[in-house]
Amino acid sequence: MSALLELKNLSFVYGQGTPFEKKAVSDVSLSVNKGEFIGIIGHTGSGKSTLVQMLNGLIKPTEGQVILEGEDIWKKPKEIRKVRFRVGMVFQYPEYQLFEETVRKDIAFGPSNKGLKGEELDKAVERAAAFTGLKSDLLDSSPFELSGGEKRRAAIAGVIAMDPEILILDEPTAGLDPMGREILLSQIVNYHKERGNTVLLVSHSMEDIARVADRIIVMNQSRLFAFDETKKIFARGDELGQIGLQVPQITRIMQRLRGMGYDVPDGVLTVDEAFSAVCSLLKKEGRIW
Amino acid sequence: MVRDVSFGQYFPGNSLIHRLDPRAKLLIFIAFIVIIFCTFNYAALGVTAAFTALFLILSRIPIKFYFKSLKVIIFIVLFTSVINLFYGVGDPIWQWWVFKITWDGIHRAVMVTIRIICLILSSSCLTFTTSPTELTDAIERLMSPLRAIRFPVHEIAMMMSLALRFVPTLMEETDKIMQAQKARGADMESGNVIKRARALVPVLVPLFVSAFRRAYEIATAMECRCYRGGSGRTRMKTIHMGRRDVLAFIAIALVIGGVIVCNIFLGKTV
Repeated sequence: MSALLELKNLSFVYGQGTPFEKKAVSDVSLSVNKGEFIGIIGHTGSGKSTLVQMLNGLIKPTEGQVILEGEDIWKKPKEIRKVRFRVGMVFQYPEYQLFEETVRKDIAFGPSNKGLKGEELDKAVERAAAFTGLKSDLLDSSPFELSGGEKRRAAIAGVIAMDPEILILDEPTAGLDPMGREILLSQIVNYHKERGNTVLLVSHSMEDIARVADRIIVMNQSRLFAFDETKKIFARGDELGQIGLQVPQITRIMQRLRGMGYDVPDGVLTVDEAFSAVCSLLKKEGRIW
Repeated sequence: MVRDVSFGQYFPGNSLIHRLDPRAKLLIFIAFIVIIFCTFNYAALGVTAAFTALFLILSRIPIKFYFKSLKVIIFIVLFTSVINLFYGVGDPIWQWWVFKITWDGIHRAVMVTIRIICLILSSSCLTFTTSPTELTDAIERLMSPLRAIRFPVHEIAMMMSLALRFVPTLMEETDKIMQAQKARGADMESGNVIKRARALVPVLVPLFVSAFRRAYEIATAMECRCYRGGSGRTRMKTIHMGRRDVLAFIAIALVIGGVIVCNIFLGKTV
């Protein structure tokens, strides 16, 4: 499998040459395959947001390269916009970017910049709205009349409508209620399954990441701490604890059980998995406690 | 990027100029700026230029930030010096159509250039070494006598400090929104003036919306802490004049004296 996106020794320094100089990302190298669902975790200020902003050329790395399908995205700086249509980026609290008179127009901003027109544009808008679960009768109201959750959906739809090959979401569920989080997350998963494109999800919620990600990038103090399969990452609970991260609660419970001598599998990530593991354990032992 | 603006930024430090009482500093810089424009010959100008250099050295801020602040106004400097060049009186040494250059014009151009440079450098020195809160505090204290004529000194100072407080926040916000719109393929770097102005709409609308939101939030937060204007408020940090402030006043008095002496005894260049 050839890599879709490759990072080579990527570094970024804010305010280079001023007293406020700050290293945000240093020497990150990794590669992501087509169709993967990647989670990105890390403590606040570990460089996650800066890292993802370099992936679609919003900020130019001070050192290193971002290689998209074999080509350095900064090879032709004038055509960096084309990269942004291929690598879609949803920022934290994206609802603050809404500006048009109607939701429909706002979602159409991205794809029309890309060059879509007429029927094609309408289709893209409606499909994106459907993916994010935005009711079609809301499309013609003002984005400022929507509720918080609806605004969030509209803003995410605005990026999905460009139909990017890689979709990056920076904490898409932050500030939503538990129900809203749940629904939005499953919509992202469905979108990923249906379109078969690559998704990078930055999140503080280990539970969310554990449920959806194939592989996880762990950032710590501007460096790449680990990049591995989800199960393997969460099996390293102690190390994660040392850098201020936690494994999902259910994983911790199962690890604790293992520590007490019960024969349950390592790296359980969801409640359902844990349930069946405990059931089979009980069956095997033939008793309750 | 928007973040790169260094004009008017505060650089924390512990130099002599940083430690001056902000009131003293403000008065001194105002006096200095006035005196820059009261120089009538090169000797007087030389005195002010030398003192500007002294300020810069004493501030202990890397010289390249001063150069950066000059870069912002280079166009104004060029424009005014060219205008002055052609407005001299006396015998022309070069003439074409209605344009003529005289010695008088050349002197004017040189002097105005040096004056503007000194002005920008010294005011940058003030803002580089004084935090916005110190500055508004100083203004409030200096204007407090005006309260006698019912001038809303505290309210104005509060407005100023709120405005200054939100400059970096709004800049950051602008940056974020620009990034978000660029991520949706907004093109802000190419096209003619009209196209570029139109390209600002996706940035300005969310920026205004969020500015209003922030204004509501801060008003609520202030009310929650029972803010009700300036009367009877005490300060967390009180400022005191010290010996170094007196010395600074003496120094600026010497500069003013020096400039006056030069003006009187050495005659007018322009």
